[in-house]
Amino acid sequence: MKILEARGIRKRFGGVVALSDGNLGAQEGRITGLLGANGSGKSTMSKIIAGVYSADAGEVWYNGRVVHYGNPHEARADGIAMVYQNLSLVPNLTVWQNIVLGAEEKTGPFLNNRQAREHARAIVDDLLPGLDVERIVDGLSPGEMQIAEIAKAISKRPRLLILDEPTAALELAQVKSLFLHMRRLAGQGIAIVFTSHRLWEVMEICDDTVVFRNGQTVATLDLEKDGRDPAKIIGYITGETARVAQAAYHRRENRNAAILRVTNLAQGTLLREISFALKKGEILGIGGLAGQGQRELMLALAGFYPDITGHVELDGRRLRLTSPAEAVRNSMLLVPGDRESEGLFLRHSLFSNIVFPKLGVRHYPLLTPFGKFREECRRTVDTLSIRTTGLDVPVRTLSGGNQQKVVVGKWLSFDTRVLLLSDPAKGVDVGAKRDLYDYITRRVREDGMSVILYASDNQELVDYCDRVMIMYEGRVVAILEGESITTDKIIESSMRVDSVREGAGDAAHH
Amino acid sequence: MMSLFSLDRGGWLFKVYDRNKKLLAAVAAIALIFVAGQFVVSSFLSLNQVLITLKLASFIALFSLCQMIVMAAGGAGLDLSVGYAATITAVFTASVMNGQNSNLWLAVLIALGIGLAVGFCNGFLSAYLKLPSLVVTLAMSQILQGIINVYTAGALITGKPSPVLQILAAKSTGIFPNVVFLLVGVAIVVMVLLYRTRWGATLFGVGENETAAFLSGVNTRRVRTIAFMLSGTFASLIGLLLIGNMGVAFKDMGSDYVLPSIAAAVVGGVSLQGGDGNYVGVILGAVLLQALLNLLVALGWGDAGKWVGFGVVLYALLAAYVSNRRGR
Amino acid sequence: MQPTTRKPRWALSGVARLVVRPEYSSLLILVVMVAVATLLQRNFWSGPSLLLTIDAFGPLILLTMGQAVVLVAGTLDLSCGTALSLYTCILTFVMRTNQPASGVLAILITLAAAVMVGIVNGFAAGYLRVSPVVVTFATSFLWLGIALFLRPTPGGQSVGWFNAFYDFRNVSGLPAAIRSVSSFLPPVLILILLGCVFWYALSRGPMGRYLCAVGGNEESAYRSGINTARVQISAYVINSVFVFLAALFFVGQNQSGDARFGDPFTLRTIAAAVVGGIALTGGRGSIYFAIVGALIIELVNKIIFFANIPYAYGTLVAGAIVIIAIGGSQLYSGYSRRAMTRGRAP
Repeated sequence: MKILEARGIRKRFGGVVALSDGNLGAQEGRITGLLGANGSGKSTMSKIIAGVYSADAGEVWYNGRVVHYGNPHEARADGIAMVYQNLSLVPNLTVWQNIVLGAEEKTGPFLNNRQAREHARAIVDDLLPGLDVERIVDGLSPGEMQIAEIAKAISKRPRLLILDEPTAALELAQVKSLFLHMRRLAGQGIAIVFTSHRLWEVMEICDDTVVFRNGQTVATLDLEKDGRDPAKIIGYITGETARVAQAAYHRRENRNAAILRVTNLAQGTLLREISFALKKGEILGIGGLAGQGQRELMLALAGFYPDITGHVELDGRRLRLTSPAEAVRNSMLLVPGDRESEGLFLRHSLFSNIVFPKLGVRHYPLLTPFGKFREECRRTVDTLSIRTTGLDVPVRTLSGGNQQKVVVGKWLSFDTRVLLLSDPAKGVDVGAKRDLYDYITRRVREDGMSVILYASDNQELVDYCDRVMIMYEGRVVAILEGESITTDKIIESSMRVDSVREGAGDAAHH
Repeated sequence: MMSLFSLDRGGWLFKVYDRNKKLLAAVAAIALIFVAGQFVVSSFLSLNQVLITLKLASFIALFSLCQMIVMAAGGAGLDLSVGYAATITAVFTASVMNGQNSNLWLAVLIALGIGLAVGFCNGFLSAYLKLPSLVVTLAMSQILQGIINVYTAGALITGKPSPVLQILAAKSTGIFPNVVFLLVGVAIVVMVLLYRTRWGATLFGVGENETAAFLSGVNTRRVRTIAFMLSGTFASLIGLLLIGNMGVAFKDMGSDYVLPSIAAAVVGGVSLQGGDGNYVGVILGAVLLQALLNLLVALGWGDAGKWVGFGVVLYALLAAYVSNRRGR
Repeated sequence: MQPTTRKPRWALSGVARLVVRPEYSSLLILVVMVAVATLLQRNFWSGPSLLLTIDAFGPLILLTMGQAVVLVAGTLDLSCGTALSLYTCILTFVMRTNQPASGVLAILITLAAAVMVGIVNGFAAGYLRVSPVVVTFATSFLWLGIALFLRPTPGGQSVGWFNAFYDFRNVSGLPAAIRSVSSFLPPVLILILLGCVFWYALSRGPMGRYLCAVGGNEESAYRSGINTARVQISAYVINSVFVFLAALFFVGQNQSGDARFGDPFTLRTIAAAVVGGIALTGGRGSIYFAIVGALIIELVNKIIFFANIPYAYGTLVAGAIVIIAIGGSQLYSGYSRRAMTRGRAP
């Protein structure tokens, strides 16, 4: 039975039109997947339905009547709950306090904490047994935070549940568990709207799919009736009818000498005695479960930790990676994992973002050479196919994929010896992802650039890497080569722990 | 004017292509104040008044430069010690100069020394120890005030400024006060430094996103410390101008400038979180505030009215310009 | 299915955790301070001396309690010092010495003014979401102006029974039993206890948690359906009431109002709150530790006094103390934070 029907939704933010014609429907007991590139409007659509934004035009029909929510609280009261992409947890409160936040049970004027705790415990045990609801959210891992977020949304027994990219920070095992739970909720008659960038997820769990492109709904498919054809769906997403053939990166055996040698790199408890070698012209992947130190390794190699210990040699020269300036000077360049907080000056223009690292290079004069820089910037925009209306637009108005290209682009004119990529395709749409990897593989092939690639999506590791290192609890536990680089093997190695356990010390924490 | 960076801000008044509109609005507001003042006091809208306003506003604008640099560097930067930094410089150099030009160079050196020291302390505590600059600079101003108290407890403040300073700060060339020319000169240098040099762009980058700047190889803590050192040094030099203007040094010379300097910067569009700053806007903001102050004094409200009016207008301006209400 | 949650390996044992938390470490510092003060002043613990101490420390304690509330809610009040002066001016402006009833009127009017002050501050900081630093800095001059308007020079009138806010024994009309209470329970202490009771009641209800939530992450709190503007405005109003209580004490003590005497308090309340473990970024801390912080700051001042430092150095030392207090506290809490969570680079 149809519970939600949104038609002709329009929404603009200042000068940017986020939605020009959004249509979305949801039915009780069915899971509807939202697909679309960054900036296609699907996230805005979700937020309008959840009451975070109000539509400029169009109609939202929910549960038998037209609705117009002034804030998310009203929507929640009506039975619409949303699980946000940027979490809505308060970091200094505990899990159970967060779960009941805004809708606490009371006895008279006072809070009934005991009931709240029990309620929270019941929900969390269902989703992730073993997660202590008394823990403060600040200390949780991203995956645990996501679970807490989901628990919070379903604690009010919603009739319509909107999940905005909930799987981004989750392990495969947790994703499967979440899917089971979603099926169960759907079985209870709840309508679910689910967004993800991973096509396989949508195809596996969703009954229907709605595809957004450029602010409009371009396709509504019933996956049972219309079938699950990835190529067709990708076509709707990108608007290209031609088959999106992934420039298959041919794995080659690399007999070159090592350009980077890392011995016993250690940083507190995050990285423990990591040793490996990166060959020249190779793409070395880093895999493993999320949060095992991969991001930290990338940051460490970029000089982020001043108290790092260990021995690092680049091209035969010893490096003291105690500051990013040192890494940049030696052409070991980082594309950070969280572009908004680590890689971009959001309110500044595309031009100043791309030009920024050059400012620190000594031999440029004090007065910035504008003509030269603008020419170089134009070339960067061309090379990476950055979609923008001009060089002076603020980067915060660009889509996620284009923003990521800017982050990569600022190193373009540098003579890169080692490129450190920390989850470059996270939250990036299919087209931009392809552009980025095309560029990277070309640089490797033609210029002999060496790359260390951390990707949270195992498929990327399989598609692009010559070798893959698996990390677990801050150590390298396996190195896969050649034929053994498959998603199954990666997952297997990620989970395998017996060979690295230290013994009694670990008994305390499992 | 092409700048190294262009900006976008949230909030319903702030748009990149509206920036010129905002400056025009400021000019219009200033004109409005003068016209309104004319109704109150017949000589308000006179050339003389305008020139006096410009002169007094110049001092505010100079102090606002300190604030702008520190604010642009990010991390909720503010420098509340500029008032007493100027005062302490005036007090200490008064007897050194003693009404002569011969020791002016020494006075300048002392000013630089004081400013760099104060600025370094502020910067170190704010950038390296990560203490909130609001509290640090406020405490620093108390420390400076305490030093002055100790110094003047035993002795009176003697000495007069060198004639050069008096010409620069108090006198006029033709009808225009010299300090206005100084301001224009400073403004040009500042604009070039901020918008057309590596250093300026680095400063704005650090203010906008310290982590991103750090990962790009910038020593962000050093940049922020230098920003405070510049602010302190400049405030000290303004102290020399203050004594040049007043003819003597006294204990609270600079403290009345602190709030207006911040207000002018905020009204002039400098973001409190960092990452941007337009000195032209700041100067207009200073003129606006000074004109308002003059109007309030002309209304005869005295000390009480001055602060009330000031507080109300600043509150209203903040509400209009800086408010960040939830957009839907 | 094996859960992948793991407790951090560096999780400290129970007792170690307690010591390392910034709040509990402030208790340690307090004990040390009291010990030093006892050593320096022989009669520190004697009845009359203790009363004097409580009376001297009381105002800062009340003000810091108020500041703590706004700090926890994620904002800041730089106008509390001038607001304090303003309330004393209003009180002494309304009261007429020969009309005992005017005291009641004065209290009501001033309380209403305090609520207004809180709303004005809270509206800009919470609803318009202007930076609290600049807003309260601006309003501080607003309160100063109004205070100067009411009381250009210190003075004014106060009714006889108002003294009850300072010392019951000075009020002739009260029965002997109540008057003797003052010898061991000074009124200011009663006010402080009232404040604690109020906070306790608040923390048992939703508002207490909402204050922490809004201070912790305003966006998340909003998305959870909390009216963040209303919560922050409430915080400022509560703060104003604490400042109002301190004003009652001062007028009771001095029978006069002064537009400028409150200025030095502002910075000290912030220092006291930080020393008491309340984060300037919001979300953490409690009013009880604000009391601890205020006690520490006042004890340090007392110790400096007993160490015979000349008066002229007073301001200098005060400023230096603030920096040392906050700097030390920040360093310490930075260390403890690192010990408890993942290590993060500068």
